Amino acid sequence: MKRPLAAITGGVTGIAVMSVLLLFLEVETRSNLAIFEAVARFAGMPGNVAFGFVLFVLAGVFAWPLAFMALEEYIPGGPDPATRGMVLAVVLWVVFVLTGRGDLSGGLLAIYVIFTLLAHLCYGFLLGAVYGRLTSGGPLEAERYDPTDVSQ
Amino acid sequence: MRSVAADGGYLSGLGFESEKPAGLFRWLTTVDHKDIGVLYIAFAAGAALWGGTDAMMIRTELFTAGTDVWSPETYNALFTAHGFTMLFFFATPAFTGLANYFIPILIGADDMAFPRINAIAFWLLPPSLLLVRGGLVTEVLGKMLAAVGVRWELLFSLEPPTTGWTLYTPHSALLANPQVDLVLLGLHLSGLATVMAAINIIVTIFTERGENVTWSNLDIFSWTLLTTSGIILFAFPVLGSSLLMLVADRNFGTTFFAVDGGGPILWQHLFWFFGHPEVYILVLPAFGLVSLILPKFAGRKLFGFKFIVYSTLAIGVLSFGVWAHHMFSTGMDPRLRSSFMAVSLAIAIPSAVKTFNWMATLWGGNVRWAAPQIFCVGGIMTFIVGGVTGVFLASIPVDLVLHDTYYVVGHFHFIVMGVITFAAFAASYYWFPLLTGRMFNRRLGRIHGYLSIVGVFLAFLPMILIGYEGLPRRYASYPESFVPLQQVSSFGALIIGIGVLIWLTNMVQSYRLGPIVTDADVWNLRESGQFSREWQWFETQLEERTKFRR
Ligand code: HEM
Ligand SMILES: [Cu+2]
Repeated sequence: MKRPLAAITGGVTGIAVMSVLLLFLEVETRSNLAIFEAVARFAGMPGNVAFGFVLFVLAGVFAWPLAFMALEEYIPGGPDPATRGMVLAVVLWVVFVLTGRGDLSGGLLAIYVIFTLLAHLCYGFLLGAVYGRLTSGGPLEAERYDPTDVSQ
Repeated sequence: MRSVAADGGYLSGLGFESEKPAGLFRWLTTVDHKDIGVLYIAFAAGAALWGGTDAMMIRTELFTAGTDVWSPETYNALFTAHGFTMLFFFATPAFTGLANYFIPILIGADDMAFPRINAIAFWLLPPSLLLVRGGLVTEVLGKMLAAVGVRWELLFSLEPPTTGWTLYTPHSALLANPQVDLVLLGLHLSGLATVMAAINIIVTIFTERGENVTWSNLDIFSWTLLTTSGIILFAFPVLGSSLLMLVADRNFGTTFFAVDGGGPILWQHLFWFFGHPEVYILVLPAFGLVSLILPKFAGRKLFGFKFIVYSTLAIGVLSFGVWAHHMFSTGMDPRLRSSFMAVSLAIAIPSAVKTFNWMATLWGGNVRWAAPQIFCVGGIMTFIVGGVTGVFLASIPVDLVLHDTYYVVGHFHFIVMGVITFAAFAASYYWFPLLTGRMFNRRLGRIHGYLSIVGVFLAFLPMILIGYEGLPRRYASYPESFVPLQQVSSFGALIIGIGVLIWLTNMVQSYRLGPIVTDADVWNLRESGQFSREWQWFETQLEERTKFRR
């Protein structure tokens, strides 16, 4: 598959799972975290939740995956593209937490920080893994398992 | 499904047979016991992560004395959902999945006795989970619609229930929230699924055994699952009927559990007639796994095999005679009460038999501290604490003081989070190479093991102490004096959570990239003469693959 298309497919998968995760978190916490307001702030649209969300999806489907494709070789964590995707996602998450946390504090802030990190890691993992699957012929080289070697 | 690997012709463990349809369609239509086993395991892992999220949210609220994170209603909804999810959608399916995958292999059968019923039983579970946690799902839908400007109030009318997993009447009968009805139906459906799976396991073990598998050389895992399934057969229908009676009370004006009908105590009798056997339904498979895995890493045969089987059967029978120990404080006749106390103390004996047999197996053995073994021994440690605290609870005077305090939560978590979850983790590591054809990262596995042991003690010992001080459970706020212990407990929960994330990473990444297994004897079992049937089966699978490659 063409590399940009593979990256976008990865982005679609990642953003779909991530949105569902965030949505569940939002609902399960009875909207205490206001995740989608945070998404809107992250997307630079404070207050406008619907539009902010659309921007968030577009960035997740096009901007980050294409950036990932272009930068792949420079991102640490290789050769596994999924690990590299997670590294990229952590960078995005730092920005997300800084711009989006609003006036949360205490326990809510802790929950917010941890679960948004997990959601980002899922996104990055799926982005990289799907991209890697669609662009290369097979899985990465793997060594054979040797039961006598304790370092494995 | 990945089919070609670096070694040229390697097939992953999830892709043995080549004539199956590929992709999603295969998983939706499969009636192969191995595929269904994998589906069960994946479903259980998802549910466990969801229920774990609830636990973390509970512990966040309890980190401080006031109700400053969630509202009291949200808190009540959280522990209710946590209990349902963990008991009915994590622990039970996890062991059913292992049973589906391994019992036919261990007893030399081609498949389960009723492959189609097997598939149906599994596919009843996702809808049951959605019904039980339905309020969330409809609210997600509602929010999605609201985001594009459509507001459909109906979708917001289902509130997560706040009944606790015991659904005590009159509260559960009187709550107006319609979601409670969905929960009752969802639990009923999951009960049907569980009974179908149990019947399948029983019939498989009775009728499908290979020629050389007799009752006397049946492996310990199959024995425990046979007993478990027997308990299910008698316990779950009682739950099913009581649930329907409650549905009728709520909707059709019957008075089974109303004060001027059967009375709220009737619910407690029916519920615990199911509820106590249920805890053994969860713990017996875990015992079976410990008995199976522990000897492999001790270099010795299981000590007293026969007595472990007898004690399993004894627990199966006795578990139906103790239900009223959950009701000591409801004011029943003291003579009746003491007879339940006697049986409850008696059931500690077969449990102790097992513990001593495990210790005797380790004694003088050549113990290897691989990840599965760390979890087995850790599970025995937590089981001892859970069991001893249970013996205290079984004695009436102590129970009258500790009933409905954190002591109880601490006690049963040493068992559910300790030995039950630990056995599931042990199995996930022990059989990982067989399931995936690859090896996991063993160092991460050991780290996960040690973290989990430390985490469980840090999380649940404080609860025992908090209970001794008399703090009742199920309140979102508590007096300031409990803050230090509660914070230690939350910290322990965090450590468990970190361990789980390490496990998840290890499982996913090793499935994709782990070192490839080419020799079926991954655990050096031949040396001690324990290269058991499932590994022999694995060996022939590996040979087939190599033939396929040439
Ligand atoms: C990190 C792991 C876990 C933590 C920190 C945790 C924490 C808690 C806490 C604090 C409660 C008490 C809530 C209250 O009464 O206010 C609770 C209840 C409960 N938990 Fe867990 N839990 C964990 C794992 C599990 C597992 C693995 C299971 C079952 C397999 C389980 C089953 C239950 C049940 C049945 C209840 C009772 C709910 C009720 O009484 O309404 N938990 N948990
Ligand atoms: Cu009991």
